Amino acid sequence: MAYSDKVVDHYNNPRNVGSFGKDTPGVGTGLVGAPECGDVMKLQIKVNLETGVIEDAKFKTFGCGSAIASSSLATEWLKGKSVDEAAKIKNTDIVNELKLPPVKIHCSVLAEDAIKAALADYKTKQAPVGAGATTK
Amino acid sequence: MSHFEVFGLPRRLAVDTAELRRKFYALSRRWHPDFHQAAPAGAQARALEESARLNAAYRALRDPIARVDYLVRLEEGRETREGADQKPKAPPELLAEMFEIQEALEEAKAGGLDDAGRRGLGADRDRLLARLHAEEARLTGPLSAAWDASAAAARPQALAALKQALATRAYLRTVIDDLNEALGEQADGHVTHRRH
Repeated sequence: MAYSDKVVDHYNNPRNVGSFGKDTPGVGTGLVGAPECGDVMKLQIKVNLETGVIEDAKFKTFGCGSAIASSSLATEWLKGKSVDEAAKIKNTDIVNELKLPPVKIHCSVLAEDAIKAALADYKTKQAPVGAGATTK
Repeated sequence: MSHFEVFGLPRRLAVDTAELRRKFYALSRRWHPDFHQAAPAGAQARALEESARLNAAYRALRDPIARVDYLVRLEEGRETREGADQKPKAPPELLAEMFEIQEALEEAKAGGLDDAGRRGLGADRDRLLARLHAEEARLTGPLSAAWDASAAAARPQALAALKQALATRAYLRTVIDDLNEALGEQADGHVTHRRH
């Protein structure tokens, strides 16, 4: 499998590897996986609670080069975006940037899922205590 | 034509494998290209096609896990769009566990494996292997039987349970392979399942 230069670069020098404490205020965590290949991806955002801007993002992925590159790129893109802007990142953007071949598109889908899961987790944590329970 | 239809079987997971083998041999004799060498080109091509279809169907149905995997794909192709878009999902706690084991494995590898580390990883591997076998037994046993027994309305639920068990099995296999690799041991009988 020939990887593009950008994939190789992210694989050899992954950006923003690491993690935040998941209970730290403003942190949203997404943990997703691709059962077909057994990959696991954790992606976290740290949102400035005053401005709603993503100040930092970290990831850790156990998987193939394309999955690592997709999540590494995603963390780069997330930094500096508002939560709403971040929700607009699409897997196709990642495919285009990394020139992923068709058999690797699922890696970019996984990264998009991870972003969405992290944003959803952040939003759940921001919801006032007790909200959601009132709908019952 | 589905692989089930090739053998005249209903779309059920309970398959009498001895009977399946007999049918396979009988149909193989009928379609084997060697028996059609003197036939006109059109008939030869047909025999080749039928023979290939038969082999593919037998491969997919003879093994009970491959059979579940095939059934799930078959059902999703037939279902409406919404159903087809649903990806198999592993339970979140399994994902968290797989992540932790991979992290521990990475640390162990980075620090160099001493005897204690090796024993720890070996114990993890054995524990996961036991779970893999239990999951496979559940998949081919009660979950397959539940699918066969479910009425139309209960089928999506039975299918979802099969999908989740397949996903769990895939994760367990990956992490077991990774542990085996770190321990420098061969995979335990099952076909090694490599990442691309």
